[in-house]
Amino acid sequence: MFKRVPFKTAGLMKKLMGEYYEKGARSQKEGIPVAWMTAVSPVEIIYAAGLFPYYPENFGALAGARKIADKLSLSAEAKGYSHDLCAYARCGIGDAYATEHPVGKIVEPNIIFACNTQCGTLPKWFEVASRFYDVPYFLLDSPLVGGEPEEACRDYFLQQLKEMIAYLEEVTGRPFDYDRLREVLHLSNEACRLWNEVLDTAARKPAPFGFFDASFHMAPIVTWRGTQEAVTYYRELKKEVDERDKAGIYAIPEEHFKVYFDHIPLWPRLRWFSELFASHHTLVAVSQYTHSWSYSFDLERPLESLAANYLEEFVNRSFDYRVQLKLNFIEKYGCDGFVFFSNRSCKSTGLGLYDKRNIVAEKTGLPGVVFEADMSDERFFSEEQVLGRLEPFFEQLKSAAR
Amino acid sequence: MHKEEIIEFLQKVVEKPDWKVREWKEQEKGKAVGFLLTDVPEELIHAAGFFPYGISGGRARMEFADAHLQSWTCSFVRSSLSLALEGKLDFLDGLIIPQTCDTTRNVSGIWQHANPLPFLQEYRLPRQVDRPSARNYLIYELNRLKEELEKFSGRKITEEKIKESIALYNDNRNLLARLFVLHEQNPAAISNRELYTIIEAALLMPVEILNKYLNGLIEALENEEAAPKSKIRLFISGTLLEPLEILDFIDENGGLVVGDDLKNGSRYIDAQVQTNDDPLAALADRQLKRIPGAFYDPPHNPRRHFLVKTARDKKVQGVIFLHLRNCEPENYDFYDNMQALEESGIPAIRIETEFVTAPSGQIRTRVEAFLEMIGGEGNV
Ligand code: SF4
Repeated sequence: MFKRVPFKTAGLMKKLMGEYYEKGARSQKEGIPVAWMTAVSPVEIIYAAGLFPYYPENFGALAGARKIADKLSLSAEAKGYSHDLCAYARCGIGDAYATEHPVGKIVEPNIIFACNTQCGTLPKWFEVASRFYDVPYFLLDSPLVGGEPEEACRDYFLQQLKEMIAYLEEVTGRPFDYDRLREVLHLSNEACRLWNEVLDTAARKPAPFGFFDASFHMAPIVTWRGTQEAVTYYRELKKEVDERDKAGIYAIPEEHFKVYFDHIPLWPRLRWFSELFASHHTLVAVSQYTHSWSYSFDLERPLESLAANYLEEFVNRSFDYRVQLKLNFIEKYGCDGFVFFSNRSCKSTGLGLYDKRNIVAEKTGLPGVVFEADMSDERFFSEEQVLGRLEPFFEQLKSAAR
Repeated sequence: MHKEEIIEFLQKVVEKPDWKVREWKEQEKGKAVGFLLTDVPEELIHAAGFFPYGISGGRARMEFADAHLQSWTCSFVRSSLSLALEGKLDFLDGLIIPQTCDTTRNVSGIWQHANPLPFLQEYRLPRQVDRPSARNYLIYELNRLKEELEKFSGRKITEEKIKESIALYNDNRNLLARLFVLHEQNPAAISNRELYTIIEAALLMPVEILNKYLNGLIEALENEEAAPKSKIRLFISGTLLEPLEILDFIDENGGLVVGDDLKNGSRYIDAQVQTNDDPLAALADRQLKRIPGAFYDPPHNPRRHFLVKTARDKKVQGVIFLHLRNCEPENYDFYDNMQALEESGIPAIRIETEFVTAPSGQIRTRVEAFLEMIGGEGNV
């Protein structure tokens, strides 16, 4: 085990996230509608309309990190929801039926927006929620972007954004404020830009920041994106990362290798994994996951660029596009190998990883491995099995370097 | 032809699912385009001059799929890909995969690497159906699919051609729907197993030929005396009817299936296509007004309300949820559907199945017990 130098920004994170949950709880009392949102969806519109956006996926990750996803899930399983469904969904549904709430209760929605850019699970889960909480449900439908993005699909998404705005005008009884939308988009742009600058420092050798740090510091880019708070946070973080770099405080001691990681971290095992990789002098430098929040909006064409950004996010792209994306990351960050986590919760990122492993290995000549587990539910985690996969991989890394 | 002969012939089609397609390819020197069930506009494939072939999984050697699909993938897709890798779908020149869940959305790339085909298309169905944007988009998508089919065949698909195909498939749907009614009226004349076997055959043979057989069969059935016999009226809800043998258990225990929302059942024959409109718009409209399923739960007709209403209208005594394990959309709907039925006093059970093996004795026992419970003795 190595001794970590804690990030000063962690304190700010704690404060921000505390405020976020407090705001959620307060919103309803103050008559501000709480809108459930999916992580990859145009939250900018929700902020501009004056609603409070809440991300139930975040709740699932939190339950995972606190190692209680399995317990919450049992309340859902008792109703017939299978343990094969996404653990975030099981935590959300489980919390609805549970009598105990060890990580606090999920913030109840007044209105639900789902976008299926990420997966088909979220719409199904949110449909369940809309029945349970008896609130309206609105789906933003993203057809898969097969090859080059098609105008007609962008237009479909754009039409739906207009439908969404009209719907929000009805809900709030106010005309939609496009100037406010531009402000929010500007703040999102800023936060995304800074976040990506931070992520990019993982390419330095040795690097002051890696994937496990990113997994910790990503909460505000999800929840506060579109606000000044997120911009301030990532400005501070970027400053601190640069300072640490100057001071020789690196993500891991003695970095020998960098690897690419797919996709979501295993929340209850974050520490275990980060120590395992560090003990092999291997920095998990990059994952497409933390790069999900890389939006760039054109303030001149707000709705069109919202459509393009949220429709064409990589999880909604073809098999080949996603292989190429991995190759690009591997190259950009100078990776020596790659690790694919086949996450039984997340079909939309897990499916195809075995074929992709073969293709990426063939194209790069780098060692790579796939392992099976779940991002939140420890019942599907076997230390022995995972080590059985990773240890030979570390050996390959070392022998490739010789 | 006698009724028995027709039924026997159609049964043989299902037993040898590659029989008719190979025969057709041989005779017509044409190409076959498969589709994963369902909601794919067969009319377009037909109008392009191809043989539309519905892949409804099968008892495949699953180890073929293991290198590509994790064990938590549904057995329908696992078995379909396994069949392809085993060479049992080698008559296919193309494939259309309708996107209805994360698995169908992600399998096309995997399929194309594992078992490359000269023509592989995704059919990207809209996942919301109630807002105007859905219809415009769907017409675009249908047009795109049409153009891809044209590129593959090297021939234009004229409006006339599509209209002809629509008429043929409308006939087919009408005939199958009529058969359903006859089955309900006179179950002694055509059993549950026979009815659904015939619907399955529709996925595997040329529609022109099938329609002839169906006309003959319907004529024979209409002339048959109804043998009134009290039956336990059932509804089956799920994605796919698998295994077909479950219908034998229902037949043997006095059950009568009077409705379903299955892809290889009522969902295949439910709504008609208007013939006077622009054909692509008409195809889109059919799609948007189909009965609810796990991948569409339209606000104007929520699935649980649809289930309760249909069960009441059809005087259903029990509902069987027939679920494929690992079918996520079904799983998300299940509890609320079950609750809705319970609140309406309609008994239901859930039976989970997989494509892997022959049906277990346990399924038989559960069906028997359920029918006994809801039917009582006097009914059978
Ligand atoms: S299935 Fe994947 S993308 Fe969807 S909510 Fe679960 S983890 Fe997120």
